[in-house]
Amino acid sequence: MPEWLLKDESYIPESDKDTFINKSILSLLGLLARIRTQGCDKTDKYFVHAALKVAFTFLLILLLSISRNFTFIVISMVYLLVILSLMRGKEILHILKVSSAMALFTFIVLLPSAFWGNGYSIVTITSKVLATIIAVNILSHSAKWNSITSALKVFHVPDIFIFVLDITIKYIAMLGEFSLYMLYALKLRSVGKNHNKYAALSGIAGTLFIKSKEMAEEMHAAMECRGFTGEYSVHNRFKFTAADFIYILINAGLLTIFVYLERI
Amino acid sequence: MIELTNVSYAYAGIDALKDVSLRIEKGEAVALMGANGSGKSTLLKIINGIVSPDSGAYRFNNEEITPKKLKDTKFAKLFHQKIGFVFQNSDTQLFCTNVYDEIAFGPRQMGMDEADVEQRVNDCLSLLNIQDFKSRQPYHLSGGEKRKVAIASVLALNPEVLVLDEPMNGLDPRTQRWLVEFLIMLNKAGKTILTSTHNLELVQEISQRAVLFGEDHSIAADMATTKLLTETDLLKKVNLVDEYYHRHDGDQHVHFHLHNY
Amino acid sequence: MHIPDNYLSPATCAVIGAAMVPVWAAAVKKVKEEIPREKMPLLGVGASFSFLMMMFNVPLPGGTTGHAVGGTLLAILMGPYAACISVTVALLIQALLFGDGGILAFGANCFNMAFILPFLGYGIYKFMKDRVQSERGEYTGIVLGSYFGINIAALAAAIEFGIQPLLFTNAAGQPLYCPYPLSVSIPAMTIPHLLVAGIVEVIFTVTIVGFIKKVSPGTIYQGAKQKTKAIYGLLLALICLTPLGLLASGTAWGEWGADEIHEVVSGSTPLGYTPEGMRHGFSFGAVMPDYSINGLPEAAGYILSAVAGVAIMIILFKIISALKKNTSGKITG
Repeated sequence: MPEWLLKDESYIPESDKDTFINKSILSLLGLLARIRTQGCDKTDKYFVHAALKVAFTFLLILLLSISRNFTFIVISMVYLLVILSLMRGKEILHILKVSSAMALFTFIVLLPSAFWGNGYSIVTITSKVLATIIAVNILSHSAKWNSITSALKVFHVPDIFIFVLDITIKYIAMLGEFSLYMLYALKLRSVGKNHNKYAALSGIAGTLFIKSKEMAEEMHAAMECRGFTGEYSVHNRFKFTAADFIYILINAGLLTIFVYLERI
Repeated sequence: MIELTNVSYAYAGIDALKDVSLRIEKGEAVALMGANGSGKSTLLKIINGIVSPDSGAYRFNNEEITPKKLKDTKFAKLFHQKIGFVFQNSDTQLFCTNVYDEIAFGPRQMGMDEADVEQRVNDCLSLLNIQDFKSRQPYHLSGGEKRKVAIASVLALNPEVLVLDEPMNGLDPRTQRWLVEFLIMLNKAGKTILTSTHNLELVQEISQRAVLFGEDHSIAADMATTKLLTETDLLKKVNLVDEYYHRHDGDQHVHFHLHNY
Repeated sequence: MHIPDNYLSPATCAVIGAAMVPVWAAAVKKVKEEIPREKMPLLGVGASFSFLMMMFNVPLPGGTTGHAVGGTLLAILMGPYAACISVTVALLIQALLFGDGGILAFGANCFNMAFILPFLGYGIYKFMKDRVQSERGEYTGIVLGSYFGINIAALAAAIEFGIQPLLFTNAAGQPLYCPYPLSVSIPAMTIPHLLVAGIVEVIFTVTIVGFIKKVSPGTIYQGAKQKTKAIYGLLLALICLTPLGLLASGTAWGEWGADEIHEVVSGSTPLGYTPEGMRHGFSFGAVMPDYSINGLPEAAGYILSAVAGVAIMIILFKIISALKKNTSGKITG
């Protein structure tokens, strides 16, 4: 037993600027929390088929983007706020936080153009950005992610591509957790001044790559053992419900309003 | 040394720890036991300052550890030096290109000159009997070797408390045995050892005291390890063992057999 | 660099998206040749790696941090075609599930980050690596590839922004989408990338490739020796794109003199100096003032300047590699 190990360390740390560790930990924690909350206790309450949600969200975003009529933007916004009001408090908070941050960013970016006398852009684009991001986030929060990805089948996205998407989401969670623990380990052992932060960071990212490659091979081997031959079919039964019908009606209404407003 | 009072923690709306109070003195060897998902790992994270409790207080060396204090990097660094954490998955803990640099990572940060660092790294290498891997890449070592490197890299900081999360997992019986002896040695040298484990055979050797977690995420029992192991009903109640669990008297022999009921 | 919706017109998005279709088709075909069909799921793991790359904060001098995109890194590690698919999948998940980057602008984002970035970055890297057969040559390739990859991708995004006010205005002549012309969008996008993001990308790429080469060199993609045709084709395409600069009203971006950059930079970031490379690099505008040569139409002048610029770059590369061969020849001989 070496002598130094028997004594308590009398050590006064130097301060160091290593915020990148904490910032990376925070962004990973946010990511993992987002993936986890969509995984549990989601009872697709308003039973609208994910394919419809994807299609009409896309349509709404397209209409918003084309629209030159401010009334239409206001109507869409109201529609989105109504849907938002049906969601849970935590989700509403998250959606509003994300979308208002982006809208604020847009506002600041467009501020100089407003000073040059272009008031049109700053008002319409900022509100369009806000509405679009709320719409996408409502989709992402109100449907399970695997139902969103399998809904892509309706739009003739190849099965293998949907499969790759599903795997990606799963491995973002797994590798994300892995990197989180590596960052924790780095943080716990960062007890002083690190003179080579890039070495530490590249160690984490590099190990992550080697690990992901290894996991991919293992997964491929495991799938082969279960009889996977490269064919993957997504099963997606489409049962038309009353909620689907109402949802279509509402969106058809929006489309009519759009046509009406843009033509006049 | 470590003092938790009424600590609770929930993640994504699910309880991980509920109203846990615990006091560990300097030089103790304590085992945390409990079924999967009973909150052991969360508790270890709180003790290491990785997460902060939702409610309740955590004091280390009579100083309350709060997120605010941990934001002060000098304070956080000193705290992390005093308490070392060996992760369950050693892969996540090793991020340098060779074993030497891995172990030297901590001492170098502590501002030691390179001669002292070398001394310390060599001591650690010989202490864990891994001198031969000095220039190998940690990533390509075997599971047991990785665990040893991870322990060496934490030990090089000379922490007062050593926390190990399921250190026996994935090790062969011989390496498990070696680790037991090693932890006993460290404890005798005055280090406080806190281990979470499922290993009912070895737990009484690496700890004098055991803290048992129930499935309700709170402490179900806190007593001498040898006594806890005889409380079969209690172990069953927390779903750590099933009805086939039994102990053989004498404590000294380990054997393997099939039950043909 | 994630373009949100409503900054670009749906028409622009459709055109760029359509341009991505053959790229995707080629990438899928190429990847299928390199990876057997049943190994396609491996791409998912690559995509999640690429997604997570964007989560890492890279330390910058002074305690601040920056984000890397990692496009060139992925291309070096997995090959440009697999990188293209992986980044595409990562971008789709970001757009569809995280609301990060537009849905309509998905094609444009892919064009910049899944096409230009990995292919250009990899092209430059491979070009250098094949010509300068040494460790230093390879690292020079990584540095140049990652730096130019991200900067040209940013330039592409800037051009996409900048052409909006020219093409899409309402009856009153007010721009419907991004209101800034090329003269604003290009410096606004490229300067932060030249000064900060490009450097972050270089550090990130170099150190990670270095780590993997040390720990597990076998995992890095081994492309066949590149046909020089590909890189020349890419350069040709870039030359053809330069007349877009003409669309800029007012002063074109190339005319941002070193003094002006100094002003802009000291106004917006704490760095109060003109970077060394820029002071010299931008000065070739002075050789052909205003990018137009007397007696030639402006467009031709632009193309000519671009050709000259590319030729100078190629000449520089060749001189470096020739010198390299000479010295190594001396040592062995």
